[in-house]
Amino acid sequence: MYGFEALTFNIHGGYLEAIVRGHRGGLLTAVDYNNLCQCETLDDIKMHLSATEYGPYLQNEPSPLRTTTIVEKCTQKLVDEYKHMLTQATEPLSTFLEYITYGHMIDNIVLIVTGTLHERDVHELLEKCHPLGMFESIATLAVAQNMRELYRLVLVDTPLAPYFSECITSEDLDEMNIEIMRNTLYKAYLEDFYKFCKKLGGATSEIMCDLLSFEADRRAVNISINSIGTELTRDDRRKLFSNFGLLYPYGHEELALCEDFDQVRGVMEKYPTYNLIFAKLSYGESQMLDKAFYEEEVKRLCLAFEQQFHYAVFFAYVRLREQEIRNLMWISECVAQNQKSRIHDGIVYIF
Amino acid sequence: MATNSALLAIIGDEDTVTGFLLAGVGNVDLRRKTNYLIVDDKTSVKTIEEAFKEFTAREDIAIILISQYVANMIRFVVDQFNKPLPAILEIPSKDHPYDPSQDSILARVKHMFSSDPSGPSSRY
Amino acid sequence: MSGQGQRLNVVPTVTVLGVVKARLIGATKGHQLLKKKSDALTVQFRQILKRIVQAKETMGDSLKASSFSLTEAKYTAGDSIKYVVLENVGSATVKVRAKQDNVAGVKLPKFEYFTEAGETKNDLTGLARGGQQIQLCRSSFIKAVEVLVELASLQTSFLTLDEAIKTTNRRVNALENVVKPKLENTISYIKGELDELEREEFFRLKKIQGFKRREVEKQMLLNKKHAEVAALKQTASLNGGRGQSDNNLLQLEADADEDIIF
Repeated sequence: MYGFEALTFNIHGGYLEAIVRGHRGGLLTAVDYNNLCQCETLDDIKMHLSATEYGPYLQNEPSPLRTTTIVEKCTQKLVDEYKHMLTQATEPLSTFLEYITYGHMIDNIVLIVTGTLHERDVHELLEKCHPLGMFESIATLAVAQNMRELYRLVLVDTPLAPYFSECITSEDLDEMNIEIMRNTLYKAYLEDFYKFCKKLGGATSEIMCDLLSFEADRRAVNISINSIGTELTRDDRRKLFSNFGLLYPYGHEELALCEDFDQVRGVMEKYPTYNLIFAKLSYGESQMLDKAFYEEEVKRLCLAFEQQFHYAVFFAYVRLREQEIRNLMWISECVAQNQKSRIHDGIVYIF
Repeated sequence: MATNSALLAIIGDEDTVTGFLLAGVGNVDLRRKTNYLIVDDKTSVKTIEEAFKEFTAREDIAIILISQYVANMIRFVVDQFNKPLPAILEIPSKDHPYDPSQDSILARVKHMFSSDPSGPSSRY
Repeated sequence: MSGQGQRLNVVPTVTVLGVVKARLIGATKGHQLLKKKSDALTVQFRQILKRIVQAKETMGDSLKASSFSLTEAKYTAGDSIKYVVLENVGSATVKVRAKQDNVAGVKLPKFEYFTEAGETKNDLTGLARGGQQIQLCRSSFIKAVEVLVELASLQTSFLTLDEAIKTTNRRVNALENVVKPKLENTISYIKGELDELEREEFFRLKKIQGFKRREVEKQMLLNKKHAEVAALKQTASLNGGRGQSDNNLLQLEADADEDIIF
């Protein structure tokens, strides 16, 4: 199979791959970031961004600018590009593209369910949803009062329906359950995505499985660290880990037992890939772990562009854009809050 | 003081409010009345004013935290309010650095310190 | 002085003088006490002022750090984390309790914050990403709340003290500038009136004394004259010189009459 997709890939995917590679050129470079870091005000940032692809999205924004506006507009650009690609895509690329957004969809559902529990106004909630995770029947989510109803009335029509089968057992919804539900859903989603990519085969499967494994491992580590000292039991913790990835299954067993950060580190040091990440951190320091993971992820995502004739570039592109938005948010927050000494702590250079 | 435990109320931009809610200040009572108000671009001055008046009238609120730039929007109401309880605190918000000169309390403090070396007793 | 020339509308008697004097002593004592209270309050007030200025500065820094930690949390956990927090609001876990401090009879409210016993929510927020940042952010904001609550106590004390000092000073000044002069004026008025009365009495007494003395002298003179006349008459009848003696007698009688009438 390998290599033969070059013959047929361009029939359906060629145009979009060209587009996505074109978009890739629009990602901000280290030079752009250096310029942005020199900014004194948010208006300076806007001025610098106007020379990039974000220009048209920000040019009509009146001063004074707010960080949320910048983030919103940049997200809008990503959404527009994504929508454009989605409408052009044919099977199985369209399904693949949809898969990318399921993560946001899960977040949106969880948000609405939480809001409903506290009897908030659904329309207000809808405004807060991530635009990439919207689906048609999302507003009707508010009618549900427990999981069973939620599933029966709304979710059965969404692509997420199969993921809910696992957490359907919890009848009452409270904060604890919701956070667990979110993670159970995410786990199911990652596993499903993983399976889907395997099925696609070829370079897509090879690269995507690698990326998703990394994602799954990162989640496992994060969940382990973040659940230290909470009511989450070891078994529950273990259940939230996705059943694939480099750490599966032995690493998961060990992670489930960890009681503090250094134990997690001990587990991770057995894996050469992650050893490098943890080696960057000094002992007892867990602050910069997220950034280290982001950097590693970006490195892997960039590598996805090195090969041709596969779908992982779309995934990589969306993720890189998201990272870029995070960078921009960080920069503008630092500028707005006058914390310029910290500005380099949060930027992950993409290229 | 009838109530032995009282709430803090917050009026401010989204991030400030989020932070304080994260700390566990937020409260929603049975009638779904909140003790915070998020001010964004769409919030009208009237809404802020009403919220401020409501918070000051509520008995279970002892301290009102209000972002300084929001306080500036309803300065006349804030300045009118001169009871000791609830205490009104003007706090800086992240995109609006703290400006002590606009703080009504601090302005009084500074005024006393600078122009009136013999203390407040000689003001009358 | 504003109180000059004013006095209480009283009957100037010795009893009233005693009452007013007692009131003056009371007012002086009260004035001293209030002055002391005002001084005590002012001392407290100045301390609070200093602490307010300090606390306001601390608050600025603390909130700056807090909002930056929120930025860190948002960076790792995603922007949507704020909605999760906003939607998860239930009942408050951080509340304030009000205590009272007593400074020279002025009750100063003092707040202290406490965490309501109960499970801390949001514990699992950001389980998959950024949970730690969120916890850090939470503790940073709790610290900010601590500072703010302290500041609130100071500020309320400031306002209460300000008010208390104002009223105390008003009382001090009222005592000093109105009540005391009034009482003093009254006392001097009463004293003046009493002196006046005394002088009048003295004069009257003198006058009567003088009159009485004159009267006595006159009587004595008259008696002497009568005695003389009687003696003359005796000698005239003895001598036999009638006409002269009649004339003389008439003269004498007219004199005596005149005197009697007068």
